Amino acid sequence: MCAEDEVRSMAMPGSIPWDNAAMSRSSADTDEAAFARLFEEFSAPIYNYVLRMVADADRAADITQDTFIKAYRKLHTVTEANSTRSWLYRIATNTAIDDMRRRRMVSPMGDDAAAYENRPDQRPGPEAQVMASTLDERVQRALMTLRPNHRQCLLLSDLDDMSAQQIGEVMGLTYAAVRTLLCRARGDMRRALAAEGFAR
Amino acid sequence: MTMNRHEPFEELISASLTDDLSAVERQRLDTHLDSCAECRATLAAFADQRRIMSGLRHVGPPRDLGARVRGGIERGRFATLPWWRRPAVIFTGVGGGLAAVAGALLAIVLLNAPAEEAPVGAATPSPTPVVSAEPTALATVSAPVFTQPPEPPATLPPVLTPPPSVAPGASVPPSTAAPTPPTIEPTAAPEASPEPDIYLAYTGPIESPTMAVLEEPGASPVAEVEPPSGPPVAAELSPDGQWLAYITQVGQRGTSEVRATRIAEAPTPNEPGASPALASEIAVGETVVLGESLAGSPFLERMAWSPDARYLAFTLADPETAEADAWLFEPANDPEPRALTDVGDAYAASWVAAKDGSPLLWISAAGDRPASHLHAISTQTSADAEPIDPTKDAIATAGGVFQPLLSPNGAFAIYWDGRMEQQEDEAWTFVQGGAPYLAAHDVTEGTYEFSAERLLFSDLDIGQDAFAAAAIAWGGDGDAYAVWDSRWTGRPQSFDDEATYPDQARVYFGHATDPRGLTRIHAIDAGDLRDQATVVDVKVSPTGRHLVITALRPLDGTLSEPMADLLLVTRNTGDVPDEVQVLASGDDGWFGPAAFAIEALVEAD
Repeated sequence: MCAEDEVRSMAMPGSIPWDNAAMSRSSADTDEAAFARLFEEFSAPIYNYVLRMVADADRAADITQDTFIKAYRKLHTVTEANSTRSWLYRIATNTAIDDMRRRRMVSPMGDDAAAYENRPDQRPGPEAQVMASTLDERVQRALMTLRPNHRQCLLLSDLDDMSAQQIGEVMGLTYAAVRTLLCRARGDMRRALAAEGFAR
Repeated sequence: MTMNRHEPFEELISASLTDDLSAVERQRLDTHLDSCAECRATLAAFADQRRIMSGLRHVGPPRDLGARVRGGIERGRFATLPWWRRPAVIFTGVGGGLAAVAGALLAIVLLNAPAEEAPVGAATPSPTPVVSAEPTALATVSAPVFTQPPEPPATLPPVLTPPPSVAPGASVPPSTAAPTPPTIEPTAAPEASPEPDIYLAYTGPIESPTMAVLEEPGASPVAEVEPPSGPPVAAELSPDGQWLAYITQVGQRGTSEVRATRIAEAPTPNEPGASPALASEIAVGETVVLGESLAGSPFLERMAWSPDARYLAFTLADPETAEADAWLFEPANDPEPRALTDVGDAYAASWVAAKDGSPLLWISAAGDRPASHLHAISTQTSADAEPIDPTKDAIATAGGVFQPLLSPNGAFAIYWDGRMEQQEDEAWTFVQGGAPYLAAHDVTEGTYEFSAERLLFSDLDIGQDAFAAAAIAWGGDGDAYAVWDSRWTGRPQSFDDEATYPDQARVYFGHATDPRGLTRIHAIDAGDLRDQATVVDVKVSPTGRHLVITALRPLDGTLSEPMADLLLVTRNTGDVPDEVQVLASGDDGWFGPAAFAIEALVEAD
């Protein structure tokens, strides 16, 4: 199925970890089926996106869970004009941001940008990092040094292969703003990867 | 900032990786790359980066994710909600038996010293002002005399916010002094009791709980209440004692229900010229469900009876849209509640008596910069009442003031200021610079100005780190107040390694007339509550030195009923531990919140 397919066109799910008997409400079978299909298609990519955002498996599971609960509640708002995928990622992004805000992981913006730039670097030295880490861990560590909005757009682009237009739908930004943000994110990530011992 | 000559091309390079280039841009980039080694290196680095990112290990979601989502939908429960929006946690979970009560963690120290005797020496650091007068302080807020402890310094922090503007009115000079209440002449008042007038008891099996209103353990219930689907988390008794308003959790849906139960007949006016009793067509023992709301925000769990007991003001946030509006219940006039506002960001705050005695209501508008608006209330029924826009035709408006909680005499206010935001499907909360402030509130002159404000927590630096919210309650003496469920969003500001501060699990107990403000030493003893207990509700006794706390016991992961103790805490100071009396033991169910019938101490003349 194309990623941009609409919720309401989705067919009944196959074998997914979903108890249709428990879920079913007599008046909403169509929505239940559509939602089950939505879950089947997007639960894994959403979970991975969130996992890379927060770098914590338990939190990622919680955020993914909440994302789909919110999606279920808002299912009736999805129209033919909506991009279901972008809509779902937007919910996931907002839920993750909310979670990070609670935990004060969101970088201070605006007047506090300088404080963010001057935050202490608590990483171990580069040699220890390179010796001790797998490639995956090193990339994740580099990701976590980025501002959350840089991390979001980079993940949406490179992990989830979204276009600038789609990223804009998720993040509520214009096409031009996404291109600029993505360029800055790539620049920051380039430096972060270099700090992790990647060659270029 | 100067832009290097490569920067415009870096954006094109970045966009080229996802084919987000126009033909013209593509040609321009290609031309540049032919002649620029640095940009070719950038292209290679960005391409490598994209390859690395897309090759990240794909991690499968937890196997039970589907079941968790399904369960969450069925129960309306989110995973990342704080405990107070997780009623399901109370009922569900895995493993373990009932928590062993042997070796109870709660230190119960029953001392026989009467409440009137303040056991504090002058040289002992005193987190609680020592009231030298008899604590029949219903009548006076100007009499307390405080010992001056050596720490923390008595100097108050500078005023960090501009004074709230009150329109109409003159500018208010900033002050670092404690707000000075108007002089209030003592009036005859009964001796205050530290024990609550009533409390709720939510007991029985999960499948068929019962709820009752009790005056004391073992006595016949004042009223049997139609059982709600979840335990009560807030309660307010009307000043005439006729009505108990309360908020209950709704099963496992992450919402709450506001209710009112009539628990007594209208009192008979016993003085010539007294106001006529507020009779209602709703019989004693009947319960009115006033509405369902999003749960979890202290700002939503505020209910306020007007001083004349005619009105109950409360706030409902639509569980679907999270839009919040102030509501009114006038039991003597209409059995149905009515929406007072229809703007989506309005919160009921506090009542104040106008100079003619009629009740006025502060309604707060949440927002990037919140404000509060004072309105007169007209007697209308739900059928013919039109909701108002609180920003229009207000008697007074105070910018930078959110949900002012007035002391019973109206002389003090604790209000919030800061930048608020509303997250999707959630109530408004403070996201930047949020903090409670203590201010004087003018009722005697009828200007309703807030003045001489200062940070309630005098030893906290409010900046990027601040409060999202907290629950606050005044005592009937018009001086004592308690703060709990303080949701500090930043790093703790402990002055030492002893304890987290501010701590959401602690209760902070202060007095408006204490020039030190509220500090870390005003936390009640850690041993007053069980380890990992959660404070659900706090009431301050009219004595001004007792707290009645509803404390949820730690969840033990069983399918057992929720257990909450109702505790009477007598605050002591220095090395003298607080005294804790169990008014009702959570062994038998959920007890509390409690309520006092708080009368307005002073009516404006």
